[in-house]
Amino acid sequence: MDGKPEFLKGTLDLVILKIVALGPCHGYAIAQRLRQISKDYFQVHQGSLYPALHRLEDRGLLQADWRDTDTGREAKFYALTKKGQKHLETERFEWERLTEAVALILRAVE
Amino acid sequence: MRWLRRLLHKSYVEAQLDNELRFHLEQQIADYVSAGMSPAEARRVALLEFGGLERVKEEVRDTKWEMHLDSLVRDFRFAIRTLRKDPRFSLVAILTLAFGISATTVMFSVVYNLRFDPFPYKGADRLATISIHSLKQTGDTDGDRDSFTMPEFLDYRQQNHVFEDMIGSYNDMVLFKKGDGTTMFGAAVVTANTFDFYGIPPLLGRGITLDDAKPDAPPVFVLNYKIWKSDFNADPSIVGKSFLVDGKQRTLVGVMPPRFQASSGRLWIPLGLRPNAEGANLVGNIPARLWAVGRLKPGTSFQAATAEFEALAKNHSKVYPKDYPEQFSVSVRSLMETSMGDFKFMLYALFGAVAILLLIACSNVANLLFAKATVREQEIAVRVSLGAPRSRLIRQLLLESFVLAGMACVVGCILAYFGLEGISATIPSDPLPDEAVIGLRPVVFLFALGIALFTTVICGLAPALHTLRGNLHERLMGSGKGVNASFRQGALRGALVVAQVALSVVLLAGTGLLTRSFMALTHIDLGFDPKPILFAELHVPEDRHQTPEEEKEFLRQVLLRVKALPGVNSATVALSLPPVWGIYSDATVPGKTHADPWFTRYDLCSEGFFETLGLHLQRGRVLSESEIASRSHVAVVNETLAKRFFPGEDPIGKRFKLNFLDEIPNAPHDAYFEVVGVVRDFGNWDVRKSPLPEALLPYTILASAQKRILLARTAVPPTSLLPAVRREVWAVDSNMAITSTGTLQELLSLFSYTQPRFDVITSGAFAGIGLLLVVIGIFSLMAYVVSLHTHEIGIRMALGATKGSILKIFLAKGLRLVAVGVAIGFLTSLALTRFLASQLWGISATDTLTLTSVMVIMVLFGAVACLVPARRAADVDPNVALRYE
Repeated sequence: MDGKPEFLKGTLDLVILKIVALGPCHGYAIAQRLRQISKDYFQVHQGSLYPALHRLEDRGLLQADWRDTDTGREAKFYALTKKGQKHLETERFEWERLTEAVALILRAVE
Repeated sequence: MRWLRRLLHKSYVEAQLDNELRFHLEQQIADYVSAGMSPAEARRVALLEFGGLERVKEEVRDTKWEMHLDSLVRDFRFAIRTLRKDPRFSLVAILTLAFGISATTVMFSVVYNLRFDPFPYKGADRLATISIHSLKQTGDTDGDRDSFTMPEFLDYRQQNHVFEDMIGSYNDMVLFKKGDGTTMFGAAVVTANTFDFYGIPPLLGRGITLDDAKPDAPPVFVLNYKIWKSDFNADPSIVGKSFLVDGKQRTLVGVMPPRFQASSGRLWIPLGLRPNAEGANLVGNIPARLWAVGRLKPGTSFQAATAEFEALAKNHSKVYPKDYPEQFSVSVRSLMETSMGDFKFMLYALFGAVAILLLIACSNVANLLFAKATVREQEIAVRVSLGAPRSRLIRQLLLESFVLAGMACVVGCILAYFGLEGISATIPSDPLPDEAVIGLRPVVFLFALGIALFTTVICGLAPALHTLRGNLHERLMGSGKGVNASFRQGALRGALVVAQVALSVVLLAGTGLLTRSFMALTHIDLGFDPKPILFAELHVPEDRHQTPEEEKEFLRQVLLRVKALPGVNSATVALSLPPVWGIYSDATVPGKTHADPWFTRYDLCSEGFFETLGLHLQRGRVLSESEIASRSHVAVVNETLAKRFFPGEDPIGKRFKLNFLDEIPNAPHDAYFEVVGVVRDFGNWDVRKSPLPEALLPYTILASAQKRILLARTAVPPTSLLPAVRREVWAVDSNMAITSTGTLQELLSLFSYTQPRFDVITSGAFAGIGLLLVVIGIFSLMAYVVSLHTHEIGIRMALGATKGSILKIFLAKGLRLVAVGVAIGFLTSLALTRFLASQLWGISATDTLTLTSVMVIMVLFGAVACLVPARRAADVDPNVALRYE
């Protein structure tokens, strides 16, 4: 990953769900947005991104359909399902608790 | 159901994935172009970043399990292709495994059918028999019994709380008038609840019901399938007809299906459970004793039942003290457990043998796979370096061995079918329950499949793991012909061959011992030749031959007619069938006192007995015709009797009494017999033991007997005379029943040889297959070793090694393995053959000659298996070998 940190286990799914929650988009756009929003911190490789997308689709957290893009090319757009919405909320809550807890510990040690 | 759709529309799904990824790539290129790159440059950078379209696709596919299934199918096809590429290897491997699987499957079905499913009855595993054992430490079994008087039976049945129900029966021979003659069948006289108890619906008509045992019920009987087929041509119209059974008209009400064999009856007669009810008394008004079978209530243990019956019997023994030994124990045992006796140990031993065979087959195939894997090292190395995950490669290699095992399983089941036919034909019927049927059942196929999976793992895993171990890099650089075949692998394969040889030695040793024991058994000197002697049992109906004169006249006429038949040399009547059946009595010798009773066998015969059996007279003379006619109290005895009763004396002219005769109403009482001659000992009971004392008396001393045996020595094949003998007997009296017939040799074979012969044939087949597999194993290993060393041999020869020295090197290499295996096998045999001891006769379980010859055989076969590859090594042309790469 070229010196960039690897995704913590499970965080890629969370991040993807969050980005898709902002509005349906295709795989390329997800990768781009991930980079832009994280200020180039996350550079997700296709070999991780697409398996993750398909996995989330299989689990019913995302739904996909083929639509035309602005350029008129057909692309596969992913959108959040109700189940995905719920999953995102619980996962986000869990994540915040985790980071908070980790931060507390780190601070305490200092 | 998305996965199903995806599986069915694979190409559509693939196209979508392709489209999605291509879109990504196109977007990327477009972005780079708009950022100022040239289209070609943009494409190159984007592709580089993407890192291989196929790889990403593969990773996406990996998230979906149905795609795993798909790749499994592909691996499967690949495995079959690989195996087809090398048909010789595949054929050897499949046949080897098939032998192992079929032998195991055959033995499994035998053991399963006989041990776990011998009875087709309701709650078969809860069926129990009751027996009483005397606790007196005298060693004899007097007082032990498993039959009960009627009051006892009724009390037990009413008072116990452990059985759902209980039946009683006894066996009796009944005369059956049929067509032009009379035959005799073994009947089971059974309590009326028997048919209900076993819960098997009849094939035709009905079974015996409770009404049939009521005092005024019309007499009925039920026939078993075998007799219905053999004696009545399976004619369904006979049900409802009336037959003369033991002088009484009985209506046949039903025919039972083949596996219903309750109490081993050929026909079943109802028994009323009242004193003096029909069938309650035997001939001579002796009350019948009943053998009892109960079915435990579900959840009741045999121990609990034993405790219950122990208490019942204790109470009962206070009321009827004469019926019980002073101190006794009661045991309630499973009918399944007790049904086979010692034979089950042989079955377990054979199952063990077959497991060894399977292991040999597996190690053989493992060895073949090792060889193959070595040759494929380079292919595997290339695949790993191209990114194939190791788990996938292991899966694929295992799949290959599974395909082998699967095909072997199919072939093995077909072989097992024929093997079972063979084994059913040779298995001794005597120790087996009549109900047992040996056949392929679904559970047997499941077992075969389980074995196939087992062999897959056993054969395939080690080579598969091995292939992927070590430095792949080196292998890539290697020649691709296993130049780097590690020393450790060689050692592993050598160890496999050593193990095979050792296992095979164990099998051979077992078979060798059984064979030698069988040979010893069949070569016993009986003192007469049983082959040319025909026998026929004559049963005298009760209303016939009321006077001794009538019977004497009948037998005289029969003997005259039979002797006159062309092909008959001599004929006699007797009461026993040497060396199988006989009658015994204790004897009194005037002037001799002894603490133990002196037992002797005796027979009542005519003057032709000595000539018919071909006994050698040693002293005195044989019985004369006039002595027979005048019922003289004279006897011819065997050497053993002479030695035991008259040690150091001249037995001629001495007298003795047979005490048992005093108890027979129509025999002479208090009669002393004078010894007129001594014959050489002949086999007169268990052929494995030394002869018992024997006295031969005139048959006429017993005024009338229910049974006489006709013996004839013939100059032509004995059984060819049977119809003529039957005709002559019936010509004198058509009411005479002729029951069992045959030659003494057949009888001996049936009673003494069947089980050892089965042991020898079965274990011999297993040991033979084992030896063959081991030879194949050694051969394939050595051939492989030689092919690995071709280059080296070339160098050696170029440096001046002779053909002989090369031959020696490889022969020594192979024989070293064989020798180690033989040594281990020898020690294992010493430890294991004692489990066979109960099946052996005449030799010890560690017989030196047998074990030595087994080792010699193994070494010889091993040498032959090594010789062919070693000679190929010696024939290597150094010019070719050195260029060979």
